[in-house]
Amino acid sequence: MPTVDIDPDELRELTGHEDKDDEQLKTDLFGLGLEFEGLTDDGEFELEFAPDRLDRLSVEGVARSLRYHYGDARGVHVPSTNDPDWTIVVDDSVPDERPYVTGAVIRDVDLDEESLESLIQLQEKLHATMGRKRAKGAIGIHDLAMVKGSPATEGNPTIEYVGVTPDGDRFVPLDSNEELTPEGVLEDHPTGQTYADLVSEYDRYPAIYDDLGLFSFPPVINGKRTEVDTDSRELFVEMTGTDQWTIDKMLNIVCYALAARGATIESVRVEYDVDDLVRPDLSTKTKTVAHDRIETILGIGLAPEEVIDLAERSGLEAETAELEDGDLAYEVTIPPYRVDVLHPLDVIDDLGRAYGFNDLEPKYPDVGTVGGRHERSRLERSVREQLVGLGFEDLLNFHMISEEENYERMGIQPGSDVYGGGEPATIKGPYSEDYTMLRTWVMPSLLMVLERNTHRAYPQDLAEIGFTAALDDSENTGVGERRRIGAVLASHEVGYEDAKARLQALCRRFDVSLETPPTDHPTYISGRTASVVIDGEDVGVIGEVHPRVLVEHDLEVPVAGFEFDLETLR
Amino acid sequence: MQLTESQAAVLEAARAEEATSVDAIAERADLPPETVTGAAFELEEERLVAISERVEETITLTDEGSEYATATLPEIRLYETALEAGADDEPVGMGQVIGQSGLEGPQVDIALSNYARKGYGTIDSGEITADPDGEPSTDAEAQALESLADGGAEDGTVGLEAAGVDEDTLSQLERRGLAERMESTVRELTLTDDGVTALMEGLETAETVGQLTPEMLTGGEWEDAEFAEYNVSADAERVEGGNVHILRQTAERVTDVLVGMGFQEMDGPHVDADFWINDCLFMPQDHPARTHWDRFALEAPTHIDHLPEELVERVERAHREGVGEDGEGYRSPWDEDFARALALRGHTTSLSARYLAGNEIGEIEPPARFFSVEKVYRNDTLDPTHLLEFFQIEGWVMADGLSVRDLMGTFEEFYAQFGITDIEFKPHYNPYTEPSFELFGTHPTTGELVEIGNSGIFREEMLEPLGVDCDVMAWGLALERLLMLMYGFEDIRDIHGTLCDLDLLRNTEVTY
Repeated sequence: MPTVDIDPDELRELTGHEDKDDEQLKTDLFGLGLEFEGLTDDGEFELEFAPDRLDRLSVEGVARSLRYHYGDARGVHVPSTNDPDWTIVVDDSVPDERPYVTGAVIRDVDLDEESLESLIQLQEKLHATMGRKRAKGAIGIHDLAMVKGSPATEGNPTIEYVGVTPDGDRFVPLDSNEELTPEGVLEDHPTGQTYADLVSEYDRYPAIYDDLGLFSFPPVINGKRTEVDTDSRELFVEMTGTDQWTIDKMLNIVCYALAARGATIESVRVEYDVDDLVRPDLSTKTKTVAHDRIETILGIGLAPEEVIDLAERSGLEAETAELEDGDLAYEVTIPPYRVDVLHPLDVIDDLGRAYGFNDLEPKYPDVGTVGGRHERSRLERSVREQLVGLGFEDLLNFHMISEEENYERMGIQPGSDVYGGGEPATIKGPYSEDYTMLRTWVMPSLLMVLERNTHRAYPQDLAEIGFTAALDDSENTGVGERRRIGAVLASHEVGYEDAKARLQALCRRFDVSLETPPTDHPTYISGRTASVVIDGEDVGVIGEVHPRVLVEHDLEVPVAGFEFDLETLR
Repeated sequence: MQLTESQAAVLEAARAEEATSVDAIAERADLPPETVTGAAFELEEERLVAISERVEETITLTDEGSEYATATLPEIRLYETALEAGADDEPVGMGQVIGQSGLEGPQVDIALSNYARKGYGTIDSGEITADPDGEPSTDAEAQALESLADGGAEDGTVGLEAAGVDEDTLSQLERRGLAERMESTVRELTLTDDGVTALMEGLETAETVGQLTPEMLTGGEWEDAEFAEYNVSADAERVEGGNVHILRQTAERVTDVLVGMGFQEMDGPHVDADFWINDCLFMPQDHPARTHWDRFALEAPTHIDHLPEELVERVERAHREGVGEDGEGYRSPWDEDFARALALRGHTTSLSARYLAGNEIGEIEPPARFFSVEKVYRNDTLDPTHLLEFFQIEGWVMADGLSVRDLMGTFEEFYAQFGITDIEFKPHYNPYTEPSFELFGTHPTTGELVEIGNSGIFREEMLEPLGVDCDVMAWGLALERLLMLMYGFEDIRDIHGTLCDLDLLRNTEVTY
């Protein structure tokens, strides 16, 4: 789960609750769904957040939520915006893969070290979540004083979002003193290398120009010229991405955070080929929520004024309305920083949180149903009981294994016509070389357990009813998944007969006929190996494990064993 | 009076007029001394004999002492060799005498140091003289060794008085490490008046039986048999026997509880299409969890053959447009090929999706409860609490008009079965449930608040495409988490998988 670092002193200041001590804050934050994970080196709270309320990725947003929680704020608040002065012109050359841009001008900014740090963190967290690591949306924040707009036709300053050839132009990126081309940034700059994959396939790279030239290379890096510091008083915020709604919402969250610090928002005109937009889009939207549905989900009766009160305490606004069939409903206004409200159910969740879910009294649902086990699990349980009765230690091994363990160390080949020799279902880009495929049979796992436990007392009689898988074209998934019964007997004096005796007992109990005609299998000693033929069908193998396989597993006692398909006992 | 054979033999061997030692009785009765001692105490309890105890000092020759008793003491051998060499006339070179005596190693020093002490002669400047009046035959130490060797009992001990060895000589032998003094308890039996009476009235003995045999049972001999007593408090040989795996026991217990609460079990593929694992759960295709490295995508095979066409369309529409009049979809790409990609399931909610879609056992009518306790796969770092594969308890309830109170009530009931009460519900976010809760419980021993599950009411964007038009509440929980809470295990790798420790599995307390 992602985390966000919040300075508790700033939180007290922004909420106006200097009286809250750290412990009270932690409890209140837990109520919002922000779990305290620990303190950072700087003494800030490290909070784990669920990735729905992305408006709480900075101290400003958390403080806003707490103010609603405390009842200090109610309803929907939208910051006022001044009329646009600046224009972003979207040029035809913009790469098709990243056609969208949005932006805002922020004035009267007063950044100290903490608020600048908070702004940078917000930018990073938005990149990581909504921005999908900058692929879907990337934020650039600039010192407006360093941007020189070209005078456009109406006389307003203009900047341009364009596409450039990889080696088309040069600029000095952040954290560098060298003039580089965009291509050079991807090759030589650490940040460029990190994000190179996002644009390296593009024919033209995204770039933002003012009158002086290229000053931002989204989504990779900003230019050094417009770098923001604590002396910056006016900001230019631009965002580019693959989806207009996503970057507009990211912009709203940033604007709300800056407005909470006392800054003024000034709109920006975005000029596309076909139409113009004015951004940020701080319009609200509404959801119609049926009263009946609220009561059903929360399991309590509520008066309309209670619902309206809960909505306002959630930072929403609600007015009573009527559904087509005349039933009571609410028109609920959703503020522009919310990105998680897709459906009326999401509003009901907010109302429940404001009410306090833990204040609801649990009740057992008054519906009667008949319980039961799946036939496969009943069969498995019965077979397990029999195996334990026959003296076997029941095991639970991993389904994933390496090809070496599954085949090589057992003396068999993948795709060979012996029991366990099926073609493997393999893992893509495995994280560990010990787990690269699903096991095709149980026996390798049992031998691995024997190998790990040579210091433990013998006899070691082990059994597992285990999941196995191998490629199978006749299956919809292309993988045949089978449960198999595997058993081994390991002790100083053990042989084929001991294994056969137990296999016979098992077959008797399930009333199936067993034959064991001789066969060959590389895992077992020739002349002491047989097919397990149950009710006339060849379903497994039984034998004394070959010394070569025993020595491979560092075993110093003989081992006899069998394995066959569980289904045959059905 | 009914006595055992050995008791009767001991009673008969004892005397009223004199105390008889256990060893003497053992000899008379032809029984091992320990059997006599055991029987004697039993007879004492019956007041048939009296037992007196005294401490007796005994002497035992050491190995070296026994050797000199049969051969000769080194100093005497030296004296005899010296005489032969004519050292009684004039001094002889020491090297020559020692060489002829055949003394070697430490025996040379022993011989030299005792030679002069006992007055056999003098040793001076490498030359040796012998006193012609030396009397090796009356050497007190040699005589004592001889008499101790002759008079010893089988175990080599000799009573201090019986040995007739004077205290000085004995001390000298002890100093030389040739004899050891020991104390032992000697028990002596005397018949009591009751004992005499019992003997006069005649004894009945019962034969004791070691092993009950088929012959005794069929022949009726068991009726007169007295069974030899065993040491019933001693430990027996260790037997392992079969044993159900501890994690399986826990899974079975969870299954019992859920079946008892009216849940039916689900079953389905471990390798499944992302469609069933994620898309049906209203997880956007660009959700971090779907591209995250913790997912086990398959290299071979790569894609499922068929997906239900209409369902695919409905799911795609829900992703793009949302559900309901003012519902909204995700601003995320949606591609069927991406949905058809195969992976190891990261949760068993894929089974819930399959069942709810009517894909497994046909349309399911409310009310219904379903569950599974099955494996899921996450590409996480292996550590004491995380495995790449673990069991997920998945459960859901389908009914009209379910509320979060029903959800809370169901979980309280479930966890109470495992001794976990006072559950806290932390509002949470899942893409496929709303409202959603993380469940927290108090650890029974540490008192710590730990996460024990994740739950919620399935979103309409998930249910509507699946064709479900009532409420479904669901929850998931790692079985291993429950196991570790119940047993206090510290490293899950000792339990689950091929790194398991057989002793731990064999010795863990049974759960029920």
